[in-house]
Formats: sequence, structure tokens, C-alpha cells
Amino acid sequence: MKSGSRVAIEGVGLVAPGATGVEQFEQLLMEGRSGIAMVDRFDTSGQNAHKAGLIRGFQARQFIAPGKIRRMNTLSRQAVAATKMARTDAAIETNRYDPSEIGVALGTAFGPVQTSVDYMREYVEQGSSLAPPQLFAESVANAPGSHIAIEFDHRGFNLTLTQRESSALAATMFACSQIVKGTVKAAMAVGVEELNEITFSVLDKIGALSSNGAKEEASRPFDRDRDGMVVGEGAAAFYLDGSPRDGETSYGYFAGFGIARDRTASISNWGTGASAVVRAMSDALRDAEITIGEVDAIWASANGSLAGDRLEASALRQMFGNSVPPVVATKGYFGEYAGAGALHLVTAAVAMRRQWIPASLGFEESEIGLELPVNIAGRPSPLRNILVNSLSAGGGIVCAILSRQS
Amino acid sequence: MRKPDTNIRVAVTGIGIICSIGSNADEVWTAIEQARAGIGPLTAFGDETFTTDIAAEVPADFASDLFARASEMKRLSRTDLLAIKAAQEAVTQADLDANTLILRERTVVCTGTSTGGLLEGESYFFERLVRGAGKTSASRVLQQPTSGPSDAVARTLGLGGGVLSNATACASGGAAIGMAADLLRSGHVDSALAGGSDALCRLTYSGFNVLGAVDPAACAPFSADRKGITLGEGAAYVVLERWDDAVARGARILAELGGYGASCDAHHPTAPAEDGRGASAAMMGALLDSGSTGSDIDYINAHGTGTLLNDSAETRAIVTTLGSEVPASSTKSFFGHTLGAAGGLEAVITVLALQHQMAPPTLRLQTAAQDCALDYIPLTPRPMVIRQALSNTFGFGGSNVSLLFRAS
Repeated sequence: MKSGSRVAIEGVGLVAPGATGVEQFEQLLMEGRSGIAMVDRFDTSGQNAHKAGLIRGFQARQFIAPGKIRRMNTLSRQAVAATKMARTDAAIETNRYDPSEIGVALGTAFGPVQTSVDYMREYVEQGSSLAPPQLFAESVANAPGSHIAIEFDHRGFNLTLTQRESSALAATMFACSQIVKGTVKAAMAVGVEELNEITFSVLDKIGALSSNGAKEEASRPFDRDRDGMVVGEGAAAFYLDGSPRDGETSYGYFAGFGIARDRTASISNWGTGASAVVRAMSDALRDAEITIGEVDAIWASANGSLAGDRLEASALRQMFGNSVPPVVATKGYFGEYAGAGALHLVTAAVAMRRQWIPASLGFEESEIGLELPVNIAGRPSPLRNILVNSLSAGGGIVCAILSRQS
Repeated sequence: MRKPDTNIRVAVTGIGIICSIGSNADEVWTAIEQARAGIGPLTAFGDETFTTDIAAEVPADFASDLFARASEMKRLSRTDLLAIKAAQEAVTQADLDANTLILRERTVVCTGTSTGGLLEGESYFFERLVRGAGKTSASRVLQQPTSGPSDAVARTLGLGGGVLSNATACASGGAAIGMAADLLRSGHVDSALAGGSDALCRLTYSGFNVLGAVDPAACAPFSADRKGITLGEGAAYVVLERWDDAVARGARILAELGGYGASCDAHHPTAPAEDGRGASAAMMGALLDSGSTGSDIDYINAHGTGTLLNDSAETRAIVTTLGSEVPASSTKSFFGHTLGAAGGLEAVITVLALQHQMAPPTLRLQTAAQDCALDYIPLTPRPMVIRQALSNTFGFGGSNVSLLFRAS
């Protein structure tokens, strides 16, 4: 019996590269199919990288009234749609909670960059006094969270967290903390990200993205031949509840979180301070009141970056020694930043429900000296606790424990 | 999961601030005492044409004495540099290294910012239009994300307890401080550097103008002839520790952060709910979180932007929550609306008010509006007993945060 509280995932919704809704997403995982494809939204001809996890064919009108769609940017549309799917998945009873008892925590790494670009283009073409106010209203990072609150009348806290690759996990951590504190009874934890030409080109320019070299451009988390990230986009939402109606939930429970920062990291890259990652992972285990031996799988942050993957591999070996549980790297399915990290988290929730762990797409062979038991084929596996990692460029670290039992 | 324990008291042991009326807490408080505003002609991008042309700017050379790594200084945004400047002052005052009970390794940085490195992003955008993407350096735009200030502060000060950034529009700074308090109360960290930072940029200056939300003259919150905000820039941080830890290491406690409340209007993307329901819920939340009652509050540092809608809705919310007797003032009349930094700046001002037992005034308030019927402490500061005070910050999207501070 644990003395601390746990927070149930009652529903999941998502707009992912290659899948809309949790059923399609499960199918994608089971089939080991990647949503990463050639970029066709903008011209990449002058760049080294040409692939990304892109959202295609998303129809906002399936989820949002046309009159409202016009007032939302892409991020807001996808965040609201994912939230609606999560609420449907959770089969929320109307009026179970007062509007003030439901909060919203949203994570986004870059926020509405494209909306800002669109505004500034109007600023240049029309003049600073004639740019469209509607674009300005949507240029703030918390616009998607605001639309969620308005659409579903959630009047509890409404905060937007932006911590690079860890944004969605940080938002989830905050949402869970408020539920166990009693500030709200339930919360939406949402992550959303949009791929745009400027962000893509800047990441390409600084050499952060995979490109064609000795091997074809691809997301290769933990692989010895990895050469950078592939980026992704999309949205995912969790409906979280401190008191699930039937006393249990199929997706599992958030049982603990840990945070730290690698003090060796520069402002825009990963460092070498594995002890900081160990500190965050250990803090999450302590928070969940479980031991190392009770961790059945690790959802690694690995994204194919040279420094980030090396840092995480070192930390896992430092913490688990020769008993590292199966490691799952998910970014090969949808890229880094997909749902601001929330899609990474969804794969863990789906795995917990299925008691099944997916293949780590893109991984073939570990770097010498940093060998890990990276899972290479989808297979059934009993899962009591999953350790979910999120390591950000700049040094931020957020870890979570997803548990099967309440 | 450890829950944030509201029985754990949170001490403020350091403050740092930079804005248009001063580059440290002493300078800022002197300006408050002298009722001296820092609002003047816009110079940051004076070659542009806007419908208004004033702002509350920080002098351009403010970063000359920063000790950030020289090579990285060139890549940092103006918002990062403002954040580092204020954070250094706060950490120096808290003297975090004076006792090994508080480890920099266990200190989290929580920063609220609305624009992050947008100013530099704009320059990158303009240069790309002229030179093309291939010939435009990307180094300055790397700090565009709103996570930049937290990362830059943590990197500069060698802090390892985590970094969490909040981009909840104008409620960001207050939210960051509230988040930090809960991380202390749950035991995830041992100390926190929390606040906000935002630099002026073209997008927000233009954006508030096209919304018709900017006063062509210096803003006059709560007044009958108020016409909108004055945009400003700045940064401010507080150092937070668990009260018992601060006492044990002999730290000087400046004030207590009693708690905070957060809510959402769920009403409109930019306009507040006219009945002030969300603002009221945030203030009620702060009272509950702190174990205080409405009668404990002696002063409110209001959000008080100077817009028609905010000031009337906030007044209504204050009356609903606390009655019509409690004095409230808007220090945005001194240093403008600093957007994501506002919650940080105004938290520091509130701590200073508690320390000095003096309420800052609302400048330029000659005649209060009919829908603003409170004591707004017009024109001159007021010595008074302040045991507990609220600091309100409300943002686009109807997000509201209220912080409650107590005298130490």
C-alpha cells in the first residue's frame, strides 16, 4: 500500500504523424510503422534534412465547429481536437465535476512560431498598424490552452509550460501535482507542437537534424550510427483524474515525478552530467515509492542526437548497472517534439494498457561501451511500472513513473 | 506521489529586479517612494511606425556588468540577459552558498515569459527576407524559445534542481512563482529561483496596438480617462526556500509566500470575463492555499493594466472576494505592463511593500472611473500596516494567478 497519491489516466486523445485517435495510434505501434516521411509542406531543397513526422489529413471540422475553427491556429485546433478525443475516450460524465474543479496544463516546446511568422509577414507587407489582431491573439503560447478551457468550460488552473523536449511531461507533472494537492479534481494534460519552416531550417543549420550521409536520413535513437534528430509535430491529451469512477484505469496511473538539471549542459545542447539524470530518475522512483527492481521498462528520451543519447545511456547504466530493464525508444515513430513530448508519453500509456512493449524503430546496434537492452521488436511484456524519461537540450530533465496499480 | 503540503511555509530570502525605474531593488523602491515613473518615448525600434510611441524601457547598456560567459553572451536574448541580471541580484541577496543546507544542485529555476527571444527572432526574420535563409546566421535565434531565460539563468548561476518555464501570457511570472512554491512543498527541490522576464519586441508592441489596447499617453490604471496599457520590459526573481530550512541556515527572511491561486475565465481568448469570476477564483484560491481569510489582506498589488475591461473586471472581483475597503494599487503606472515578467516584478514590489510597510501608489490617477470604486492609493505612496498582501496577474486566454505574501 503506497502512502502517496496516484493520478489515473482516464482517457487519451491524439493527432499524431500517421494516426488520429488512440486506436489508429495503437495500430501504428503494433505494426511498427513510422509516421516519419518526406517534408512536403515547405521547400527543404537547400537543407541537409528533408524528413519529419508530419500531420497529414487532419480534419479539424470533425472535432470543432466551423465558426470556432476560424479563430484558432493549427496548434489550437489540434490541441482542442486531442482534448475532445481524450474526453470521449474517458467517457466523462457531464456534471461530474464543477468547471472550477478541472484544470488545464499544456506543454509546447516552440509554441506558435508559425503564427508569429504569419503576423510578422503581415507586419512587413501591410505595416505595423495593419497586421491582423486575430493573428496576434493566437501568437501567445497559451492560446491552445485557452481554447481548451473555453471549448470545454474548464475553469481550474490553465497554465502553459515550455521546456523544450520536456514540455509535455513538465505540464503533466504540474497537472498531477494539483490533483494530489486537491486544487482540482481532474485535469487535462496536453502537449502540442507544429513543425514550421523556420524552426526546421534553424535546427538543420545548427546540425541538430539527421541527414543523408553514410546512412540514409532517419531517426536512430541510441544507434551507433545515429547522426541527429528527426523532428515531429502533433498533439496528445490526457484526461487525468484523482478518483477514477470504477477505482481502476486501463492506461495506468502517474505515480511519481522527478526533476533535475544537468549543470554541464550548454544553453542549447545536452551535457555529460549523467549523475543529474540519475538524480531525476531516482527522485521519480522515490516519489512513486517503488524500487529499481520494480521498473519493468524504460521509455527513453533518446532522439538520435549524439550528446543526448550518450548522456541518457550513461545514466541508465550508472543507475541500473547490469540489470537495465528493456529500453524503448519511441522517437522513430513520430520524431522529437511530437506533441511536445506527449506522444512519447502516450506510447507508454498504450503499452501499459496492452501489457506490450513496442519496437524501437531505427535502432540496430548500440554504441560501444554504452550497450543497452533496447527493445527491437514489439512483444507482450508484463509491465508494473514504466520509467519515462525526458531530457532537454539546455539541461532540463523530467522523469515520471507510470504504474499499473493505483 | 508526494503532494505539495500547504502546511509547509515558504520563505522569500532574496529578491532581484530590473525595469524602467531601476536596475536593482533599492533603485526601484526609491522610485516608488518618489512616485517617479519610468515611461518615455519608445527607442528600442524607433524606426518603426506604430499608432503609439511610448514605452517603459530598460536602458540599453544594462547588461554591461553581467558575468555570463562571454562566448554565450553573444547568443543570449535580451530577455535572457534581463533575467540573468535580476536573478543574480536575488541569489546574491539570498546568499545561497552561505550554508551547505541549500545546494545549488537542488535549486530549480522557474521563469515566466511571454516573448522569450522574440526580439531576436524578429531580427532573424527580417534578415532572412533580405539575405535569404542560407546566408542568415542562426546563432541568435537559438534562444528564441520561451524556455531560454530559465536555461540561461540556470546555466549562468550553475543551478541543477531543474528548469521549468511558463508561457501563460501575462500570468506567466506569477504562475512560475506558484509552481516553484509547490515544488518546495512537495520536496522535489530545496530552493527555487522564480520570477519572470520579458523584453519589448515589435510583435507585442504592434499587436497590442492593433488590438486598440495601448494608451497613447502613459497608462492611467483605474482612472476615468484610461485608454489602455503602456508596454514595458524587465525581469524580477524571488528566491524561495522552505521556512524551516531558511531559519536553520540563518538566512534573512524578507517575507513569506503564503500561497497562490490559479484559475481560468474560460470566456474569451483576449478579453476578461466582465464579472471578474476568474480573477475572484484566483484570489480565493490564494487565500485557501495560504490558510488566510479576506480580512487578513491589507493591500493588493493589482493587475491594473489600464484597459477598460481589465480594471473594471478586476475591481468587481476584488469587491466580490474581499469587499470594497481593501486598498489596491497598480504599479504598472510606474514601469508599464511587462507581460510575462509582470508577475515577477509585482511579486517583488509586494515583498518590498511588506518590508517597508508602505503601499505603492497608482500614478496619474486623478479621477477614478465610475466602475472602479476602490481605494487605489492615488498619486503618492502610503505608509500603512501591511500584514498580508495579494499580487494579481491575469493574462490572455483568461488565465489568472494571485500570489499571497505575508510580512516576515
